[in-house]
Amino acid sequence: MDAFLQFIIAGLKNGSIYALVALGFTIVYAATGAINFAQGEFFMLGGMLGAFFASTGLPLPLAAVAAIAATAAIGAVFELLAVRPIGGGDPLRIIMVTIGGAVVLRQLALHFFGPDERPLAPFTEGLSIKAFGAAVERQTVWIWALTAMTVLVLALVYRKTAFGRAMRATSIRRDAARLVGIDARAMVTASFALAAALGALGGLAVAPLTQTAFNVGAGVGVKGFAAAILGGLGNPVAAVAGGLILGLLESLTAGYLDPVYKDAVALMVLLVVLFVRPQGLLGGSGREKV
Amino acid sequence: MTMLQVRNVTKRFGGLTAVDDVSFDVFQGTIKALIGPNGAGKSTLFNALTGFDKPDHGSVLFEGAELIGRRPRDTVQAGVARTFQNTQLFEEMTAGGNVMVGSQAHQRRGFATAMLRLPAAIDEDHDAREQAGRLLRLIGIEEWIDTPASDLPAGIRRLVEIARALATGPRLLLLDEPAAGLNTTETHELVQTLFRVRDTGITVVIVEHDMGLVMDVSDEIIVLDRGRKIAEGPPRMIQKDRAVIAAYLGEETDEDA
Amino acid sequence: MRGARTLGRLAPFVALAIIAIVPLLVTDRFLLKIFTFAGINALVVTGLALLFGYAGQVSLGHAAFVGLGAYTCAFCTVRLEWPWLLAFIASGALAAVGGLLLALPSLRLKGHYLAMATLGFGLLMTLAFVEAEPITGGVDGFGGIPFPTLGPIEIREASSLYWLVWAIVGIALVAAFNVTSLRPGRAMRALHGSELGAQACGVDVVGVKVRAFVVSALLAGLAGALYASVVGFVSPSIFTLTASIAFLAMAVVGGTRSLSGPLAAAVLLTLVQYLDALIPGIPRETAQTLQSYQEDIYGLAIVLVVVLAPGGLASMWRRQTRGSHAS
Repeated sequence: MDAFLQFIIAGLKNGSIYALVALGFTIVYAATGAINFAQGEFFMLGGMLGAFFASTGLPLPLAAVAAIAATAAIGAVFELLAVRPIGGGDPLRIIMVTIGGAVVLRQLALHFFGPDERPLAPFTEGLSIKAFGAAVERQTVWIWALTAMTVLVLALVYRKTAFGRAMRATSIRRDAARLVGIDARAMVTASFALAAALGALGGLAVAPLTQTAFNVGAGVGVKGFAAAILGGLGNPVAAVAGGLILGLLESLTAGYLDPVYKDAVALMVLLVVLFVRPQGLLGGSGREKV
Repeated sequence: MTMLQVRNVTKRFGGLTAVDDVSFDVFQGTIKALIGPNGAGKSTLFNALTGFDKPDHGSVLFEGAELIGRRPRDTVQAGVARTFQNTQLFEEMTAGGNVMVGSQAHQRRGFATAMLRLPAAIDEDHDAREQAGRLLRLIGIEEWIDTPASDLPAGIRRLVEIARALATGPRLLLLDEPAAGLNTTETHELVQTLFRVRDTGITVVIVEHDMGLVMDVSDEIIVLDRGRKIAEGPPRMIQKDRAVIAAYLGEETDEDA
Repeated sequence: MRGARTLGRLAPFVALAIIAIVPLLVTDRFLLKIFTFAGINALVVTGLALLFGYAGQVSLGHAAFVGLGAYTCAFCTVRLEWPWLLAFIASGALAAVGGLLLALPSLRLKGHYLAMATLGFGLLMTLAFVEAEPITGGVDGFGGIPFPTLGPIEIREASSLYWLVWAIVGIALVAAFNVTSLRPGRAMRALHGSELGAQACGVDVVGVKVRAFVVSALLAGLAGALYASVVGFVSPSIFTLTASIAFLAMAVVGGTRSLSGPLAAAVLLTLVQYLDALIPGIPRETAQTLQSYQEDIYGLAIVLVVVLAPGGLASMWRRQTRGSHAS
């Protein structure tokens, strides 16, 4: 039973990270109809920049905020340079450009920060918390808290603020949104910045536990995407649900079957969902069909 | 002979009923026009008739066979062809190339025979090329045959799309606003083309806003308003129909408001 | 101008001639091997030219098909002791079947789903190559793969291997050219231009996409078998997402609606990898720096081409020749 609880904890920990990355995918998909392959690299940049700023002597909270802000800025610049010129017509071109962009971002990280792993101190030092026969690391609690808070804040922003409403309108009908005076292109930039910030937060929060390096983006990116698809692309609630479910699936598989299969779980989920129920668990009709 | 039997076709989008229990017949060798104020459900009906959308209720019999639920490809195979309100040409292919794609609708030779460059594949290609030339000549736009679609003037684009639809060898041709964006001369040529098409034995249904064209060309008119059929009959009759006038006048009043 | 047209017509034959005589001019075995690798990449990219350049579909997992072909060839020749030609065919067949199984469910869905499915598939295969140790030799790789043999003749000379690979590339190019110049090519260009329009012309959109995918997987599989036989050793670290992106970059740079563009791009981008070997004057450090910037080149190339010149090299060449005609 203890082991089971431990697996649940690990699953929810990773799941929270996947939820953040999945939210990033969903937000960009909602705004552009395209998949942003660079989302994983935003995750990587959060951790790397956080570790970098911390190593320059900045106190951790400041380093964290700086990392998230910097990544958000990179996300916006990336959109302006690579995505906006395409004109939002063909989602496939956006996919292509984000694929190339992901490689460029990763290589830039490699050239600036080197190939080695970078450590990041946990947000609060201390022993793991013991509860109900399981041990929960303090960083894990941070991850849960940050994710929950982020999701809440996002939900509030989307529902209560003008900006949130504008984002929702743009994702539903870009041309209609423009008629109402919403600058659709600015919304797209904002969605990239927001997605980058979310990814960065995930990378930052988990870096103390797993170390971070220039090449962690692709792996987490795929998992975050699998989570987004599992829940249902375009639906923020589904993204979070998908993230948590994927985390749990991974953890239980690794725990009860074989740790070797851990990375394969996300990939299999991805393929199975695509083939069996492309709209995901919470998705609507079969609008994915050609 | 009744070519097309539309019965009780209904299509809803969320709370909006775009097509509401529409029924009508189209007789072979005639030109029937589908008119109505904007948003009346005309294009939606077209989509339902050609497999691009699935209605919630109803049946559409073409030469006795059910069209609803079949894929666009199957309706083309059955002998129904359509054009689009937003012309869907293959921009980087020539006008001739575009029409050839239509010509190969019924051809059979695929990847394997093409790879080996078997004579059967070459012959089919040759036939497609000839047919494309013939059709463009029929419509009177043969001079554009080697022009890339992206370079074609608006009026010619529509005619190329019509030629392409004809290339699939249909017995029923559905045209979605073929006169949109055409000037008077081009519209006149379109009318002549439609007569020529009808004279080859093809039945035509057209959605149109241009009343002049509709009056000139149609054997019968059916009027939709807010998804429902409000009148059906020969042009003279429709002109005088009070419900029709009200529907269009209503639209004008809305525009003034 | 007639000059440009004639040049365009002669170009393939000139290229063919140049490719054919390379081994007579170049005697360095390592250099020849580089040109042979260029041919192997060209084979994969020819398939991608059909899939991406003509049918407009994105695959992020083609290295997996190359790997499938490579390991199949290795397994069939070393463990099953099949004649090479049979193993070669089996490699292509297995990759094609894999492609079919992946394509059928994915291509019913919207465009980006294929990209995701191939990404997932590619990553899964990389894992599988590592984990299926009894078959693939795992992380340590699979060695001892014999040279190709055609009947009684074993092909082991660097120049003979070069000619074998490029002969196969030639055959693939001819087949691909036939496909693109006849009905299937037109159908692919149609569905890339307007799926709605293509459907309205009775084009079997899904069927065409699937066929293009299967052909591209087949060619990738054959390329894998050639790689395995030329090098003699394969390992999972070759068939990675990075490799898939490299292939995609070659197809993107090469351009749409063309076979020669992607071919040229494949050769160029392969040669760039080995610049220090090709140009003797380059100092070691520059060469090493260039090597480490390889992936930057791929990523940047994709971004620049998609944003600035979406039709790739091919469209730039087309614009050139069009500009020289009287309009």
